[in-house]
Amino acid sequence: MHPTRDQRLWMYRQMVTSRYLEERIETLYMEGKTPVFNMAKGPIPGEMHLSNGQEPCAAGVCAHLGPEDIVTATHRPHHIAVAKGVDLDAMVAEIFGKATGLAGGRGGHMHLFDERVNFSCSGIIGEGLGPAVGAALSRKMQGKSGVAVAFMGEGAANQGAFHEALNLAAVWQLPVVFVIEDNAWGISVAKQASTAVPRNDSRAAAYGMPGMHVADNDVDGVFAAAGEAIARARDGQGPSLIEIETARLAGHFMGDGEDYRPEGEKAGLEARDPIPRYRRALLEAGLLDAAADAGLVDEAHERVEAAIRFAQDSDFLPAEAALDAVFV
Amino acid sequence: MNTPITVPEDLWEGDGEGVITAWLVDDGSEVAQGDLVAEVMVEKAQYEIEAPVSGVLTIAKQEDEVVAKGTPIASLEA
Amino acid sequence: MTTTSTGTRKLTIARAMAEATAQAMREDPTVFVMGEDVGPLGGVFGNTRGLHEEFGSDRVRDTPISETAFIGAAVGAASDGMRPIVELMFVDFFGVCMDAIYNLMAKNTYFSGGRVKVPMVLMTSTGGGYSDAGQHSQCLYATFAHLPGMKVVVPSNAHDAKGLMTAAIRDDNPVVFMYHKALQGMGWLGTEKGATVPVPEEAYSVEIGKAAVAREGRDLTLVSLGAGVHHCLRAAKALEAEGFDAEVVDLRSLVPLDRETVRASVAKTGRLIVVDEDYHSFGVSGEIIASVVEHDHRLKAAPARVAYPDIPIPFAPTMEQWALPDADKIVAAFHQMLRNH
Repeated sequence: MHPTRDQRLWMYRQMVTSRYLEERIETLYMEGKTPVFNMAKGPIPGEMHLSNGQEPCAAGVCAHLGPEDIVTATHRPHHIAVAKGVDLDAMVAEIFGKATGLAGGRGGHMHLFDERVNFSCSGIIGEGLGPAVGAALSRKMQGKSGVAVAFMGEGAANQGAFHEALNLAAVWQLPVVFVIEDNAWGISVAKQASTAVPRNDSRAAAYGMPGMHVADNDVDGVFAAAGEAIARARDGQGPSLIEIETARLAGHFMGDGEDYRPEGEKAGLEARDPIPRYRRALLEAGLLDAAADAGLVDEAHERVEAAIRFAQDSDFLPAEAALDAVFV
Repeated sequence: MNTPITVPEDLWEGDGEGVITAWLVDDGSEVAQGDLVAEVMVEKAQYEIEAPVSGVLTIAKQEDEVVAKGTPIASLEA
Repeated sequence: MTTTSTGTRKLTIARAMAEATAQAMREDPTVFVMGEDVGPLGGVFGNTRGLHEEFGSDRVRDTPISETAFIGAAVGAASDGMRPIVELMFVDFFGVCMDAIYNLMAKNTYFSGGRVKVPMVLMTSTGGGYSDAGQHSQCLYATFAHLPGMKVVVPSNAHDAKGLMTAAIRDDNPVVFMYHKALQGMGWLGTEKGATVPVPEEAYSVEIGKAAVAREGRDLTLVSLGAGVHHCLRAAKALEAEGFDAEVVDLRSLVPLDRETVRASVAKTGRLIVVDEDYHSFGVSGEIIASVVEHDHRLKAAPARVAYPDIPIPFAPTMEQWALPDADKIVAAFHQMLRNH
């Protein structure tokens, strides 16, 4: 399955938008955190898990999804939220903890819920899989269209939740796709030190479902694999598993010294940054020229800047609003 | 007319005995044919006893009493 | 199940739960049940009996032994327009799936600012007394009630069980429905007869968050929940023979907790004993006592508690029965209270 020109430009735009958002977050996050890195300080306190480098996973999968489809994402959710169409103003405001945020500041960057586009994420490894299976079950039982996609890192494939959820989805033949973003590191532990198989897509065989692998962080390759898996799900043929070889260009979280990486790894990953690579590919294919690229990039940047201004200009909820919304 | 309620011969497999775990209507109540009136337990399994006819119930075997297939446990006066 | 024409029909809690569920499933197609052995078997504790026969395998789903997956799935389905009723067979099994319960089920509404609803019921069995030892006999009421974001109900009889089940299914929030095995009407679990009571045929709700006064009295307030209520009622009867008039408050819900009813009772009697089959420390008994004394009631005696000791539940009947609360221990606690003051 090959993406059309429009689909390729759409994916490129999502990746550029997400990357710029994260570059801006990176700067803003560090405000108030130098020279002493106190996680509680600055306009964006708390942990911050950046997804730069992993944008192809989100763009290639979400190119096949509409607002009615369900996505559960991870503690590293920004690229997926952007590509799924989460309201950017409300998302950035939530990352800043503001009243206008998705949850009025109760959730922060690891707990983003936008029910308008059926997006949610969780800070616990592997725990989005069960809800994705359940949402797929809900669609099947109600006879409603829509598929569910559960994103996870490669470390999640060693969680019990992964194996339980894949089995359940396969037993009930549910319209769900499991997407592993293999960035090769679970915080500081390398994949080969934690995982008994070189590739997690081979684990699909244990649950009688197709397993697919995408090498080299290739967004068009992700598009092709996801297209096949999602079409199968929409067609009532049950779940699939995709593992994408991707790259975490930042640390596990901001402030990570990354001393665990082998010498030269980071430079190698940066040289293979998927966004400049895709830009070159689009230019070479004649789908984009320098002027159009500049226009697209400017537009994406302005969209992000507008969301940041919206967040910065918003107020915090009164502190006692913390007592609200425990129950509906 | 007085009709006994007996433990049906086909209520469970085998010839083991059971115990009445609950009467779900009080002694002297009027019940309709097919009403669930009691539960009998055999090992861990629970079985239902229904009223064979309509009538006023007189309980003969109380809760916790051991019963066998064919045991009269109550009667119904139409 | 057919119905009695006249007289008072009684149900076991198991049947009351199944009846409430069946009635909800008839009126609302989004209600469905899933869990281990809830299908043709009807639940190990009888509370889904007859449902599979009436509603079929699509709406009454036997699951693999994968609590993390199917409770997580219930969260996802609940957020997508369904009303799942999901069973954790023994509450003791929460260890394999608590993340789906307390990090997802209980927090998704809050983390969405109230925009994502999670209308699901997690039903789970509690309690021992039949030598199943410490991985199948716990109550763990406080463990669940302690964690914000989920309502918690604990019925002591079939009337409340049906009404609370109906209320739980209709609630737009997650509700943990904790049913005590000894109250289920399953004879092999040492059935408490007092739990099998008259139950109306029609669907009705018992409000979640409202305690009930199970017995009125003026000398002493006994507060409990689940099977403990029956221990209290027996103790009250024994005390009556001694000339003391005990009031028994059945909490019915832990979240929200009806502190007002407890306080009003203690304000009247001036004495308080809390009875809890869950562990003694950091639990329901401490919470109830704190709720009373922080409200500045002038008690006639220091409050007391009869709770499960802080030990894993032992297997040997001699040890387990020695540790479990019962009416004699409640009476003894009251005698001690009188001696102290």
